Order: sequence, then structure tokens, then C-alpha cells
Amino acid sequence: MNRSVVILILALMASSLMLVYSQQRSRMLYAEKNRLEIKQARLNQEWSRLEYEQRELSKSSRIVDIATKQLHMKDPKQDKTIYVKEKANER
Amino acid sequence: MNVNHSNPSTTLVLRLPMWRSRVVLFFMFMGFCALLGRAFWIQGPGNDFYAEKGKRVNRVITLPSVRGKILDRNGEILATSLEAKTIIAYPEIIPDDLPATKIAAFAKLLKMNESELKKKLTDKKNQLYLRRQVEPDVAAKIKELAIPGIAITSEYRRYYPEGESMAHIVGFTDIQDKGIDGMEASNDEFLSGKDGQKNVVIDRLGRVVDDLGGFQPPRNGKDLQLSVDSKIQSISFEAVKKAVIDHRAKAGAAIVLDSYTGEVLAMANYPSYNPNQRSNLTGEQLRNRVLTDTFEPGSTMKPLTISLSMEKGLIKPTTQFQIGHLQIGKKVITDTHAYSVLSVSQIIQKSSNIGTSRIALQMEPEDMWTMFQSVGFGQAPKIGFLGAVAGTVRPYEKWGKLDQATMSFGYGISTSLFQLARAYTIFARDGELVPISMLKVDKPPAGTRVLSPKTAIEMRDMLELVTQEGGTALKAQVAGYRVGGKTGTAHKSMGKGGYASNKYYGFFVGVAPISNPRIVVAVVIDEPTAGSHYGGDVAAPVFSAISGSALRNLGVAPDAALKELVQSVDTSLTQKVVLKR
Repeated sequence: MNRSVVILILALMASSLMLVYSQQRSRMLYAEKNRLEIKQARLNQEWSRLEYEQRELSKSSRIVDIATKQLHMKDPKQDKTIYVKEKANER
Repeated sequence: MNVNHSNPSTTLVLRLPMWRSRVVLFFMFMGFCALLGRAFWIQGPGNDFYAEKGKRVNRVITLPSVRGKILDRNGEILATSLEAKTIIAYPEIIPDDLPATKIAAFAKLLKMNESELKKKLTDKKNQLYLRRQVEPDVAAKIKELAIPGIAITSEYRRYYPEGESMAHIVGFTDIQDKGIDGMEASNDEFLSGKDGQKNVVIDRLGRVVDDLGGFQPPRNGKDLQLSVDSKIQSISFEAVKKAVIDHRAKAGAAIVLDSYTGEVLAMANYPSYNPNQRSNLTGEQLRNRVLTDTFEPGSTMKPLTISLSMEKGLIKPTTQFQIGHLQIGKKVITDTHAYSVLSVSQIIQKSSNIGTSRIALQMEPEDMWTMFQSVGFGQAPKIGFLGAVAGTVRPYEKWGKLDQATMSFGYGISTSLFQLARAYTIFARDGELVPISMLKVDKPPAGTRVLSPKTAIEMRDMLELVTQEGGTALKAQVAGYRVGGKTGTAHKSMGKGGYASNKYYGFFVGVAPISNPRIVVAVVIDEPTAGSHYGGDVAAPVFSAISGSALRNLGVAPDAALKELVQSVDTSLTQKVVLKR
């Protein structure tokens, strides 16, 4: 009787300490999760920004502008263009 | 030592008096009472202090949602939301002895007047927004200044990479991220997201350590894919802009439809505006003329009148008409040149008002009215765009003979450029009117039959004559492709005051390529003043520029016999270049 009480008391103490530990751990992990979520949002934003920048640089009005003004390029004349037709039965 | 001196009996020493234990018991009881009372106090009336403390660690965090992107038919970005910072000031926290150099630097970053900023910061009111939608790198510099009482929060700002060429289609949002114009407005619900939130506990260092439940995930807005091709749009915009400037016109507009799918490939307006910097905008700049302006379509109406007569079997392309002189009541119908005899084809080619009137007068007003209704005139187009107008077609019961004649060549009836372009899909799609969409379409929709294929094809050949020797629109020609269309030059209506003698609209509505049409292009130039004002001179070259580039971009093989342009190549021998993003 006396012995089992001692064991139970020890078990209770161990369990209480474990509770403290797991609570602390859960908070740490939650904080970590939160930090990563913020990072994810930031990276998503960065991705959108880069996507926008790429579009801004590759929009056709800009390409036409550079091609004609800086590189002095011209649209090919229609009579100098050869249209290549894929054979339908070979696809 | 003298221990036993005062108390000789040890038994008496051990026997404690009863009152002592009573006293101890009483104090213990009082102690518990005090605790209980304190507990009641904390739970009840004295709770505010602790509730206040608790608020410091319990936070409701808003999880921001992002508005959906707007994409073109190839997935290119037309509108996107990027993070922008808001600078907030809490004047009661800001120290009064802020160094002048810091204020100067701060004012410069905020693009504000220094004295104005100083006044704002010393005005001891509640928080105020100093500036919204600040670029992140500017916000970072403000943070470096480390001024107490200045907070920086995040929100989103809308960016439009295509700028002015796409402004009227995409539209824009207000500072609350709500769509105000264009597709941003008409698809606002689809695009906008919903912010989420969660209740959390934060520790001394401001880290989130626990979740208190009540989590609502943020719902981001959905991406919207339009039918517009940003390349064709850009080409169309430049062509319209050039024509407006060259002819010193008031404005210009163009629309390109895919006649297979009914998709709007481009819709250009000039003057335009930059949706990224919207200050001092005028109504002229904001107006989407393709959809919201109506006008009398003039001669571009003739193919519709004449195809109806052909459909009814009254005439053939070769039927000859005496043109001569035509007077209805007091009004004389006039042509730019005097003709004696013209075939139906020539009436289209030379755009004869008298000829068209003679054809129209053989028909019943009701039939013409039905035709106009069936191609969509007088009804606001259902394409999910705010402000699309219906135009007017008066009820046929009220038409006189003169009305019937003038309507046959496009006076006394009004449409938008959009409606006019859509009506011409009946010629492009072998007699079917196609439903038009601003959003990308998966498969071609079913059309509504208005004409027989035979009539539509015959009319196409007649439209091609317009762009050939003897026609009114030689400038509409596109190298390598057979194209056709109809010019229009309409006096501007001044309301009840009749028509302005020197103010015109120049039109061209065309179909290309003639052998197997893929696109319908409609162009209007409003009040050209330099040089000619005829549709064939001001609008037809715009049609030519747009169609040529659009057909090339769509990969449509040329159908004109310039020379042997199309070669068959064994694809297994050619190297395939696949571009992937």
C-alpha cells in the first residue's frame, strides 16, 4: 500500500513535468510554424513581384520599341516570308 | 540556570490551553475567507486590470487575402496585386524633440512638404495615415529612420504591366481593392478574396506561441483569364493611336473578334490613360468607345441591307440597277459620284446610297427591322461589361419611306462599334451570328443562323471587291491575304440640330481572310481633321495594319496568290523549337 502510493506520486510528478515540457514544445513548434507561414507569404509575394517584373520587361510594346528603335529591325515583307505547313497525316 | 523557578509542574507546561487552538483555527478560517474574497474580486468587479493584461498576450491576427490576377489568353499577366506598405503615425508617441534632419529625410521619403509633415506629426490626435501604397524599398528606408510612433503595415496594390494599351479592358480598382472600371469591376466578386483571421497568444518577444481557435483561413481571389491577346491588343492600340495622331482626330477605337470562337482578341481605344498612375483623368480618356459610344454606322450598314435582299431572293450579285436620281418626298438621296447603272456588287464596291435605297425600298420595313434585331442592334450586348450600350432601332411601324431608305445606308439607326463588329460575324461564319465573349472560350460556341451560307459567301466576295481596284478601300489591303470589308463615312449627328457638315466618323469593318475567315475587325476614327475624312482613307489603313499582324500572330496561312508562299514540309526533318516558360 505504502509502496504503490510512492509509485503513483512519482508517476504523477513525471507526468506533470512532461506536461510542462510538451506545452513548451507545442508553443515553440507553433511559433516556428507561424514563422514559416510568414516566410511563405513573403516568398509568394516575391514570386508575384518577379513575375510582374518579367512581364513588364517582356511586354510586346517594349519589345517592338527596342526592336525598331534600337536594333532597327523591321517586320518581314509578306513576299519574303515562306509559310511552312505541317503535313496533317504525319502528326 | 533557574528553570523550575516559575513553573515547577511539567505536566502543567504540556497542557496547552484550549483558546490557543481556537485562535489558530480562527486565523486559518479568516485566511481562507480572505482568499475566497480575493478570488471573487478578481473574477468579478476587479477583473478589468487582468483583462487588460490579458489583451497584451492575446491577439487577433488578420490573415490578408490576395486579389486574383487578370491574365490574357496566353496566361500573360494583365493585372496583379503586389504588396505595398502603409505608413501610420501615432502622434502621442512621437517625441517633440525629433531632430530636424530626421524629419527632412522622412518628408523626402514620403514625398511630402516638410512643414506640412511637421504639422501633422505634432497634431496630437489619434493615429493617421501618412501615406498608403508605398513601395516596399521606400518603407524599408523609413523603418531605418527608427522614429518612435511610426508604424508600417502591409496591404496590396494593383499593378497593370500593359499600361495604357489595355486600360479600357482591364479597368482598375480603388484604394480598397474594389473594382471600379472594366473587367476589374464586372468580375469584382470573382477576383476578390476574403481575409481570414486567427486568435493567438504571443510571448514577451512578440512571437506567436499558441492558437486560441477561431481560425478562419483567408480565401484568395481567383485568377481571371480573358480572351484578349496582349500582342494583338498592343498592335491594335498602336495602329489606332497612330491614325488618331496622323489625321488629327478627336479619338479612335478598334475591335478584333475571333469569328470561330466569338472571342474578343483586342479592343483598343485612344485617347487612353495609364492605369498605374491615375491622377487628373478625364472622361475622354476613360471612355471605352467600342462599347459605350453609339453612332450612326453609315455605309457599313449596306452589306446587311443587301444580304437580306439576297437572302429573300429579290436580287443576285449580278442584278443590274438603274441608279439615276432618287427623291423621296422633299429629300434627295445623293451619292459622291453620279452613276447610271450599277450591279449589286458594284453598289457595295462603290458604296452607292441610291442603289442601296432602291434595293431597300423593294422590301418590307418589318423584314429590315427583324434583320437588324437578329444581328443584335438595339440590344445591349451580354458580355459582362459595365456600361455596354444598346443603340437604337426605332420600331418599324413608325418608319416612313424616307426612314427606310436612310436606314438602309446607316442613318436614323445607331449602334456601337462592338455591335457592328459582331453583326459582321454573320459574313465571316457563313451566315451565323456568334455569341461574343470577353473571357477565354474552350470550344467554339454554337451560332444563330441569320443568313444561308450561300448568301454569306457571296457577300464576302462582294466585300473583297471593296478593297480592290474600283472600290472605296484600297488601303485596307493586306499583303498575302484576301481581305474584304466595308467603308463608312458618317456625318456626326448633332442631336435635334441635324448633322454637322464638317464633322465625320470614318469607319471600316472587315473580314479576313476571305477564303476562310478567322477575324472580324472594326475601326472607327472620330472627327478626322487633317487630310481626307473618308473611312477608306482614315480607318481602312488601321484595319490593314491590325489584320496583317493579327493573322500572322494567329498563324493563319496566307490565302492570296502572291507567289508560292505555302510550302509543305516534312515535319520529321525540321527541327522543332519548343519554347517553354
